[in-house]
Amino acid sequence: MEMIGEGVKELLHELSVLTVAGHKVEAGQFVLTNYAFFLLIAFVVTVLFFMIGVRKVSLVPNSRLGSMIEMGVEFVRDSLCIESMGPEGKKYVPFIGTIFFYVLFNNLIGLIPGFKPGTGSMGTTVTWAVLIFIVYNAIGIKKHGLWGYLKSFWPKGVAAPIAAFVALLEIVSQMVRPLTLSVRLYANMYAGHVVLGIFSIFTVMLIEASGVMKIMAVLPIALQVVLYALELFVAVIQAYIFAVLTSVYIGGALNTH
Amino acid sequence: MDALIPKMPEILVALTSFLVLFVILGKFAFPPVTKMLDERAEKIRESLEKAEETRVEAERLLEEYKVQMAEARAEAGKVIEQGRTVAENMKNEIIAKAREEAESERTKAIESIRAEKLAAMAELQASVADLSVAVAGKIIGQQLSAADHAALIERSIAEVGSLHEN
Repeated sequence: MEMIGEGVKELLHELSVLTVAGHKVEAGQFVLTNYAFFLLIAFVVTVLFFMIGVRKVSLVPNSRLGSMIEMGVEFVRDSLCIESMGPEGKKYVPFIGTIFFYVLFNNLIGLIPGFKPGTGSMGTTVTWAVLIFIVYNAIGIKKHGLWGYLKSFWPKGVAAPIAAFVALLEIVSQMVRPLTLSVRLYANMYAGHVVLGIFSIFTVMLIEASGVMKIMAVLPIALQVVLYALELFVAVIQAYIFAVLTSVYIGGALNTH
Repeated sequence: MDALIPKMPEILVALTSFLVLFVILGKFAFPPVTKMLDERAEKIRESLEKAEETRVEAERLLEEYKVQMAEARAEAGKVIEQGRTVAENMKNEIIAKAREEAESERTKAIESIRAEKLAAMAELQASVADLSVAVAGKIIGQQLSAADHAALIERSIAEVGSLHEN
């Protein structure tokens, strides 16, 4: 039992934000962290994926990579942008597409054993969530003007006290958005790795045990396969949720009522 | 709890990498793909429209051919009908002419037979008169006087003469 406790402690330390050399990041220290390192790897992979793939995109599809990119971009354009923002959404394909694919590649890269998802740290997700918050509010202000945009929080046709209460709720919900957006992605990625790590510790412990317990190691291994599949699903679905929520926020800012 | 506090280096890397990626993808990746998707959609729309136009044109031509075919059939039927009428008329003319000719031949033959008959009758009458005179002379000659004889001959000649005149 003590072994598990030690293992989990080591795992949590391993999953915490450290320097690439594995040391604790001191306050005010500007150093490349482990998560930032994998974030940059995901950055390079995303750029390469698109730079190689876009050359293979043609009017008559003739490459799998080209078709994958086509499908991805079409999905971002139709199912995320146009669906949430209307025809105006086409303009935001680069922004939503960058969010979707960058988050997706980060999440997927984190599934490679020994790798971490760049999205598994609050630093990354909070930065993006705050950026999204600034962008969608700026879009709303640009379209309706500052006063027009602020007025949209005030419901029409309702008694003033109720309207004020609803407006307050609306503003609070707006303010909370960066937090919910960032924590959702971070927690899913982080928790997924914690679970996979714990099952790995469990497996190692059983393999190192003696007698019948050794055979029991099959169970956590099998479970780990299932969990890996689940994590793969979570990686894709979280990228989708992050991008779709951004689209919905922009759509809400564009089409205020 | 420490894990929940964003670290400045991560914020910088996340922000910079995102903005750089946004610029790269926004310039080199998404526009060509969306442009191609739009072109493809336009091409498919054009092809469908063209196919529809071709289908309508084909149907129009088919309809036209059907009408032409029906007209040609009607024309051919008319020609055949005309041919049949001409042939029928010719047949009737030939038959009528043949009948006429046959009738004429028959009339001629009847005329000829009648003339032949009359001639034969005349010849027969002459022969009968001669023979009768001869026979009568022989029978009567022995009992008649010379004067009777002469008168009888005279009368017979007169009779024969009137017979010839007929």
